[in-house]
Amino acid sequence: MFLSIFKAIEETGLSIWIRESDSVFSFWFILSVHAIGMGLLVGASVLIGLRILGLAPDLPLAPLERFYRFIWVGFWIQVVSGILLLIGYPTKSLTNPLFYVKLTLIGLAMASMQMLRNRVFADSSLSEAAMVAKGRVFAVSSLIFWVGAITAGRLLAYTYSVLTA
Amino acid sequence: MNLAHIHLLLNHWPIIGAFVGLFLFLVAFFANSDDLKQTSLAFFTLIALLAIPTYMSGDIANEVLKASTPLPQELINTHRGAALLSLIFMEITGAVALIGLWQFSRMSRPAPGLVARWNSAVVLLFSIVTVGLMTATGNTGGAIRHPEIFSGQDAAWTVPAIGSNIAPLAAYFVTGFSRWVWPALETLHFFGLILIVAAIGGLNLRLLGFVKDFPVAPLHRLLPWGIAGLGINIITGILFFVGMPFFYAWNPLFHLKMASVFVAGATLVLFNCTSAFRSWAKLGPGEDPPAFAKFIAASSLFLWLVIIVLGRYLPLTQESLK
Repeated sequence: MFLSIFKAIEETGLSIWIRESDSVFSFWFILSVHAIGMGLLVGASVLIGLRILGLAPDLPLAPLERFYRFIWVGFWIQVVSGILLLIGYPTKSLTNPLFYVKLTLIGLAMASMQMLRNRVFADSSLSEAAMVAKGRVFAVSSLIFWVGAITAGRLLAYTYSVLTA
Repeated sequence: MNLAHIHLLLNHWPIIGAFVGLFLFLVAFFANSDDLKQTSLAFFTLIALLAIPTYMSGDIANEVLKASTPLPQELINTHRGAALLSLIFMEITGAVALIGLWQFSRMSRPAPGLVARWNSAVVLLFSIVTVGLMTATGNTGGAIRHPEIFSGQDAAWTVPAIGSNIAPLAAYFVTGFSRWVWPALETLHFFGLILIVAAIGGLNLRLLGFVKDFPVAPLHRLLPWGIAGLGINIITGILFFVGMPFFYAWNPLFHLKMASVFVAGATLVLFNCTSAFRSWAKLGPGEDPPAFAKFIAASSLFLWLVIIVLGRYLPLTQESLK
């Protein structure tokens, strides 16, 4: 049943264009945007995480919340470019269990970053020391989830089992 | 003119550069001159960046020459091996030199820690080994095209003999040992990208005027993480190339990517890791750097962006080259 839906998506004009067009703006362009979005999203998370974990201790903590802008811009770039890539290869991605592992890890990493924001950055009564103490667990978990998500994403190209398009 | 020209254009620089770098470093040591020491460390790092395309262009020179002239294949293998060994030691020298150089760009210089105290000794040791290896590389390389200087057993040194096993061994490790080595290296290449974007990108965004409420100095202190990312990507990148040289060697986008890496790397070394950075590092929250600093920051961000995009397009152009 699902396979027939994937097949129908693969036969749409957009899906074919993403996969097969000679235009420089099709598949590889979307993949490039996906890599840049990853840089923004994970790069900003890593910067916040490293500071919470005690590197660059003289970097003021509170303004670090500004970097959440980059996280969310990166996140939505990833959603849009990710959906386009998915439209190009629905069967290849959605029949691969690792794809769901990747999505879960991204969800967990984003949840860690948001909990860090809501419980640490949003609480203006906390001193810097208290912010670091309270934030450490979220910083560590988000870094671990991001490492996992990137690894899973990279391995998608090597672990698919069904390719119909 | 053809692409074999690139190897000719580049290949004398890393050899002579290693000698000049070592000479400057020794003079700096005896003259006890910080300025000269900084110059020699920056020089080592730039030569290390230049050595990468020099090694890579060798495979093209070989292909082009092979088509027109019968070449002594054994000599080429020993040359490639010596070159790879030189490249490895040149990169280590450059990396250690960059760590030492970065100390010069800090606003406050704390009492030297363990790394700073041993840095000069390690640079000296590795640069001496590099000079030796570069000599073997030049010698075997020269023998390929200049038979007039080649007398009998000259090339049968130990260095090229060890080296000539290393290139095929590394290629086997990357492509034949397990089907998971390549994907694992790609994943590491992405981790390196993240560190570069976070540390180098973060610093340059601040200089450009985004997230202005940060002082510059603490962001600059995170720069070694970006340098570590660059190191990871140079190592994994060299392994990709050694594993499948002809997936890359003829691809114009790859040439553009390597040129961009050199310029972006040189920008990082000269403007963010030398004492030139000190006046920018003084900037407190809300303060704007001079227009020149913004120009350098914007160029650096643009170059890294270009590098990411070119990297992602490599497989496509590779297909169209076939």
